[in-house]
Amino acid sequence: MKPAPFAYEAPTTVSEAVDCLASHGEEAKVLAGGQSLVPVLALRLARYEALVDLNRVGELDYVRREGSTMVIGAMTRQATIERDPTLRAAIPVLREATRLIGHPQIRNRGTLGGSVAHGDPAAEYPAVALATDATITVIGPAGPRIIEAADLYDGPMSTTLAEDEILTAVAFPVWCPGSGFAVREMARREGDFATVGVIAGVTLADDRISRAALALFGVGATPMRFRQLEGELLGADFLAVDPTDFGETLAQRLDPPNDVHASTAYRTRVAARLVAEALDAALDTARQETTS
Amino acid sequence: MTGHGRFVEDVVWPDTWHVAFLRSPVARGRIVGLDVEAARALDGVRVVLTAAELNPLVRSWWQTAVGPDAPQPPRRLLAAEDVRWVGEPIAMVLATSRYVAEDALELIELDVEEQPPVIADHLDRWKVEGEVGLVHPELGTNVAAQVPSPDRGMPMGNAALDDVLGTAPHVFDETFHQHRYLCVPMEARGILARWDPYRGRMEIVAATQGAHEVRASTARLLGIDETQVHASAEDVGGGFGQKMYMSTEDHCVVAAAYREECAVRWIEDRNENLVAGGHARTEDMRLQVATDETGRILGIKAHHVEDVGAFPTPGVGSNAKLAAAYLPGPYDIGQYFFSGVATYSNTNGKCAYRGPWMMETVAREQMMDIVAVELGIDPLEFRRHNMITSDRLPFTTSSGMVYETVTPRETLDQVAELIDYEGFRAEQAAARADGRLLGIGLAAYIEGSPGFGVLGAEQVSLRIDYDGKVLASTGSGSHGQSVETTVAQVVADSLGVDYEDVRVVQNDTAASPFGSGTGGSRTAAVFGGAARLAGEKLRRKVLRVAAVALEADPEDLELDLGVVRVKGAPAVALPMAQVAAMAYAGHAAFPPDLEPGLEAAHRIKAPTFMFSNAAHAAVVEVDPGTGQVRVLRYAVSEDCGNMINPMVVEGQIAGGVVQGIGGVFYEHFVYDSTGNPLTTTFMDYLLPTAADVPEIVYGHVVTPSTTPGGFKPVGEGGAIVSPPALINAVRDALRPFGARLTAQPLTPAVLLDIIEGNTR
Ligand SMILES: Cc1cc2nc3c(=O)[nH]c(=O)nc-3n(C[C@H](O)[C@H](O)[C@H](O)COP(=O)(O)OP(=O)(O)OC[C@H]3O[C@@H](n4cnc5c(N)ncnc54)[C@H](O)[C@@H]3O)c2cc1C
Repeated sequence: MKPAPFAYEAPTTVSEAVDCLASHGEEAKVLAGGQSLVPVLALRLARYEALVDLNRVGELDYVRREGSTMVIGAMTRQATIERDPTLRAAIPVLREATRLIGHPQIRNRGTLGGSVAHGDPAAEYPAVALATDATITVIGPAGPRIIEAADLYDGPMSTTLAEDEILTAVAFPVWCPGSGFAVREMARREGDFATVGVIAGVTLADDRISRAALALFGVGATPMRFRQLEGELLGADFLAVDPTDFGETLAQRLDPPNDVHASTAYRTRVAARLVAEALDAALDTARQETTS
Repeated sequence: MTGHGRFVEDVVWPDTWHVAFLRSPVARGRIVGLDVEAARALDGVRVVLTAAELNPLVRSWWQTAVGPDAPQPPRRLLAAEDVRWVGEPIAMVLATSRYVAEDALELIELDVEEQPPVIADHLDRWKVEGEVGLVHPELGTNVAAQVPSPDRGMPMGNAALDDVLGTAPHVFDETFHQHRYLCVPMEARGILARWDPYRGRMEIVAATQGAHEVRASTARLLGIDETQVHASAEDVGGGFGQKMYMSTEDHCVVAAAYREECAVRWIEDRNENLVAGGHARTEDMRLQVATDETGRILGIKAHHVEDVGAFPTPGVGSNAKLAAAYLPGPYDIGQYFFSGVATYSNTNGKCAYRGPWMMETVAREQMMDIVAVELGIDPLEFRRHNMITSDRLPFTTSSGMVYETVTPRETLDQVAELIDYEGFRAEQAAARADGRLLGIGLAAYIEGSPGFGVLGAEQVSLRIDYDGKVLASTGSGSHGQSVETTVAQVVADSLGVDYEDVRVVQNDTAASPFGSGTGGSRTAAVFGGAARLAGEKLRRKVLRVAAVALEADPEDLELDLGVVRVKGAPAVALPMAQVAAMAYAGHAAFPPDLEPGLEAAHRIKAPTFMFSNAAHAAVVEVDPGTGQVRVLRYAVSEDCGNMINPMVVEGQIAGGVVQGIGGVFYEHFVYDSTGNPLTTTFMDYLLPTAADVPEIVYGHVVTPSTTPGGFKPVGEGGAIVSPPALINAVRDALRPFGARLTAQPLTPAVLLDIIEGNTR
């Protein structure tokens, strides 16, 4: 379990990092918190001629409000997100999801950008980005561009970033008052990647659902949104929604993986329950938000 | 916990060559091509060894505890011509670093023609004999061992038992399955070896439970004298049985050092440890139990099937004989017969794992619950009804074990109280009304510890040198059991010195007496007993020397906290340093029969078997939505005789219980049908974490044994009896769904199937 040889670069600015990455062509890889990349290298599941370490690029470590979004720099540690009071007020689901990532030791090193760029189909952040309609900023030799969360993943651990692009920030829209989110996750042990995970978000206006989002993780090659089903919720009186029914309906559209942790059938059944629970809890929170 | 331990990996010899093994990627097949030339040519590589170079060095290969004549699988250092399990070492690279060694592995060209493997898969298993092929063609059979052994004149049945099974009012028949789960020591395996041909000396530092076994195995392998080998260990981060004997890779390292006349170092990584470190459990047991109308057990017939993998250690890896001896446990079971068969498969070989025979308790204690419920008797009452009570001691079990000082009834009663067994049913009913599934499980056992053969003659030797401080050398091999503390305590007490003044030396063949290391739960009883007697001997010697100095009768002297005093005249005091100075330099005044110096040793002769007992109780909750289990409460009552150190006793139990929680709910080493392992990192082989383990409540019953000090075994029990206690609790929680639950592991998927009525 020792990595194959690689060159190591440690730029201090984003533009240096972009240059570094470009100069090595396809054979270089960005190193963030290393919590996913280092084990992959050590097991020799992948090899790169060079690693471009972003840990000294201070300009990628920030949390700030920009209009109706919270923008978070790629190198912001998961532990920082967990503790940031502004984020907690503006996007409570992010904190709730962060606490389900690994253990404190991992969150102290792991970064938002690393997690989103790595794109593990069972990871929390990609699903939060998808559920909240976040946008991702990346930069390459040709300059910056913005990717919608919905367009970011094209397979398991595979993104639409070009090999010479660096993810610089994720902008999470702050949903309007009257919104509620909930995360529900089944993992074999505390801190494990989700066997099945669900994020539900709703906005209520006059007791009717005016916005809805459902993102599942751990049940497919990428995190998944269910826009058609969400659409069926729009305009409904929240009291008329039967979360259990909804969960069953949604689960019928799944074809989750079969592995040593759980079978397809198991994931499907648990997904139905967790969707119901998450939707119920999100509606509850939204209602409390509107009445308070 | 200080973080200052020093383990084998921390030992740095500047001239060592680092090892990486090329391991078989297939379970069974012919090696049709093996080209190591490119690897040999890589910068930084000293040599790449294959079977052709290494295997001819083997002179003999056996473990002390099984002896030279017991059967062994056809052992080899490196696979030659064919491969027999995924992970089998085929070639060995020696390079300037582990990094370079792994680079070299990628340059080796290996071509294996695959053959269908003999795999005992998890649920459709044991189709082993003759069907697909032979694991070891040399042997002509896949049967590794059988009890009773047909060629040893042992009775092949028990007619009286068959009678009972044919006529008893109630007969129950159930087969239990235990999956493959592993020792997983915190520190993986590791060894450094250096052969110095000019001094004719092999120096070894190993992560081992017993340095003398390392020395002996090395000497046997290479045909050199044991005195030419110096083996020692640093701190050892757990073994749980895996480090009791030298593994194939360990043997390869000493052979490579011998052949290359250099220093060689192999530090196993976690991936290797999971795939190739030695596997455990993986067995079935069928029990047929007859009872009378009142629920008294009249007889038990047991059949045990073990999968021992390809190259088990020690010997052929079967634990059936001990399982047969221990199966009656704390009960009077009447007529009894035990048979077993162990079979080879194309998987990693079986090694010892904390209570290697424990299937007898896992099966028996589940059966106790199943029978009780079928008879409509409470499982606690059913156990009490059949349990051996103190007034029947000494008691000879149906397997011939003689219990003298066990207290199973007392520990069962105590644990029932600790877990609030009486109050639980109301709690359970209330929870069920809320849609929550709670269950309670009990399990009891007698922990047997072997004191026969080489395991039963262990020594502690004590030395007080010039400054009056005490050095205690033992043949033990602490790998996390705090033997450094407990032996020092016993010596301090029996000798009459301060605990701080005793230092324990062990696991070093040059510094400690010959011994079989730490394993089999013997250390407190055997080494503790020897320490006590050695301490008493040395105390008498100290008093004799002091008597010369004080011109007194030794009978009138006492030794306490390192100071000799005249009884009744406390002002006259002689500190140990003065006694020591006199013993070594002032001996001119000694009478002729008084030997100078302050040394004493005692080699104890242990009883063939030593016994302790315990009962465990668990309360669990099963989530009806996901099938996940939480252990809400856990209680243990044990009687390990006099406790040298209650913290150490409870630590041993806690560790074992955590391994039970892991084994029942999380840990599962999975092979697919081609013999390919699927759980090769901690991402997939799940260990319980602190978040999965409840606070454990302990109760102690103290009944001294008849051995010196009154100590009893305690090291393995936690891992032996926690699995059935936990399984019984889950079965109780799922009783409304008619759960039989006779196969582990109890994963959320398995339990959700039962809850939803989807059982296969
Ligand atoms: C024991 C353990 C448990 C874990 N449990 C969970 C869990 O429950 N949920 C979960 O979501 N995660 C979990 N993780 C993973 C953890 O969250 C990782 O930190 C995260 O997935 C990757 O973040 P990182 O900063 O460590 O990235 P790295 O490991 O450094 O990089 C990961 C990948 O992303 C790329 N990358 C990183 N940053 C950028 C960037 N700015 N631009 C472009 N590419 C980039 C890298 O090149 C690499 O391919 C766990 C990890 C461990 C070790």
